[in-house]
Amino acid sequence: MSIETSDLNKISEKKDFLVNSASLKDVRSFSREVFDKLKLNPDLKEELVLAIAEAAQNIVKHAYKDVSTTTDRMVVRISCNEKLLEISFFDKGKPVEKEKIKHRAIDDIKPGGLGTFFIQQIMDSIVFKDGEDPWINNLVLTKKL
Amino acid sequence: MKYKLSEENNINTIYLNGEIDMEVVDGIRAVIFPLIDNKKEVHINMKDVQYMDSSGISLIIESRKRAKENNSKVELKDISKPVEKVLTMAKKFL
Repeated sequence: MSIETSDLNKISEKKDFLVNSASLKDVRSFSREVFDKLKLNPDLKEELVLAIAEAAQNIVKHAYKDVSTTTDRMVVRISCNEKLLEISFFDKGKPVEKEKIKHRAIDDIKPGGLGTFFIQQIMDSIVFKDGEDPWINNLVLTKKL
Repeated sequence: MKYKLSEENNINTIYLNGEIDMEVVDGIRAVIFPLIDNKKEVHINMKDVQYMDSSGISLIIESRKRAKENNSKVELKDISKPVEKVLTMAKKFL
């Protein structure tokens, strides 16, 4: 885990994980550790952990679709400043088709798209960006605490 | 993820223990689906499940659909608080 800044109101920590489903429990552990430092209430903490785990799962399932094994790593960065929580994901998988996700109506969501639906319910904003070299995708989730 | 299986009065109960995510859901599917295919009623006991994500919801939806096709049924029992919260979020799909 890399700690960039850390005090009660301002925190920025990041960690990289191998892109595979076995890493998801490590992503959750990392997230819980950071949220414990922020002293978030348990219900909010678990909602945010779910949103983060779903986003990481989407990287494994979609950005690395048809890739059985990889040595690529993804980075999760959790920052909080002035009660604004920002969670960033960086990966080197297939580029996200942003328009498809952006224009998807809630009623069109099938069980396979539930992860994104959960993220939408929990977070205030979801922004897909092109990653800066060496990254391909950069997903940014924000929530006012 | 650990599980325990019991059978009583033609009802098979799987007791799940731990966290349900993409990594473990195929293993649970491999236990539940053959029971459903054998037209057994399946109860999934979730008392000791501390975390469940969308993979678990998909498992529940698929299991219920499969049970319906086999004239059987799948029921959730002793739902833990974390699971209940996720089920509430996903209720429009269940």
